[in-house]
Amino acid sequence: MKKKFRIFLLAFVILIFFIIFYYSLKASNKNNPNTMLNKSLPVIELTSFVNTNLKQVLPIINKDKYYLINIWSSWCVPCREEHQILMKLKDKIKIYGINYKDKKSNATSFLNELGNPFYFSGSDKDGSVAIEIGAYGIPETYIVNSQGLIVFKHVGPLDKKIYIRINEIIK
Amino acid sequence: MRSVFLITLFIFSTLTQLALSSGEREINIYKSIRCLVCQGQSLNDSNSDFAIDLKKVIKKKITNKKTDQEIYKYLTERYGDWILFDPPLKKTTIFLWIIPLIFIFLGGFFVYKRTKISLNN
Repeated sequence: MKKKFRIFLLAFVILIFFIIFYYSLKASNKNNPNTMLNKSLPVIELTSFVNTNLKQVLPIINKDKYYLINIWSSWCVPCREEHQILMKLKDKIKIYGINYKDKKSNATSFLNELGNPFYFSGSDKDGSVAIEIGAYGIPETYIVNSQGLIVFKHVGPLDKKIYIRINEIIK
Repeated sequence: MRSVFLITLFIFSTLTQLALSSGEREINIYKSIRCLVCQGQSLNDSNSDFAIDLKKVIKKKITNKKTDQEIYKYLTERYGDWILFDPPLKKTTIFLWIIPLIFIFLGGFFVYKRTKISLNN
């Protein structure tokens, strides 16, 4: 009886450990950067980094089927890498930029050099706008639908694969 | 004269106490928030850009008289439960909360059995 109980106890403990490890292995991405996916875009007010009198409030409801939000900066190397993709996308979707902790002069020369894909670009001097929409850093890209829902989010620079995916979403 | 001095002292100590408690509250929140771009550090321990910005946002919310619960809700809505060091009790986290209790129960039972056996001997 005693022996049986011990075996049962051992089996029970092993089973518990198995369950813990099984679930831990399955939950490979605990730090899920997609928390904001399929949620409403929080209301943000962007002030143009070129002209502080120009303001844009997001989300814009029922105007375009989709629009894209990109967090960028002139000092961010991956932003330079992804810029040509944004240039390719600018005729297909309206792009709203969030210029993250940047200097006006640097941001302007960055756009003069590589082209301006943004329909509107507002500045985020203290990084609070990026936090408001649940960003970790830069670059980050969001696609928002006409109801103001975030339907796509990408952390890191855009590449060919992501470009194709974005095209599939917005077509 | 003495009463004026006592009143001033009282006001000064109350104000210091208030200032301290709001600072303590701020630090307590920072300590329970995970810095998402660092390795195992709390917001309080981290000096990364992300942590500094997030601290500013939290400080602003405290100034705007937001409660701790409202601040945690704001953060989990944007970054998920992972941003909290204390996971909330949910369907997905139930094991985390129940397993220690099972082990305490089993351990207690085991110790009880052992003591009973040795006492009998």
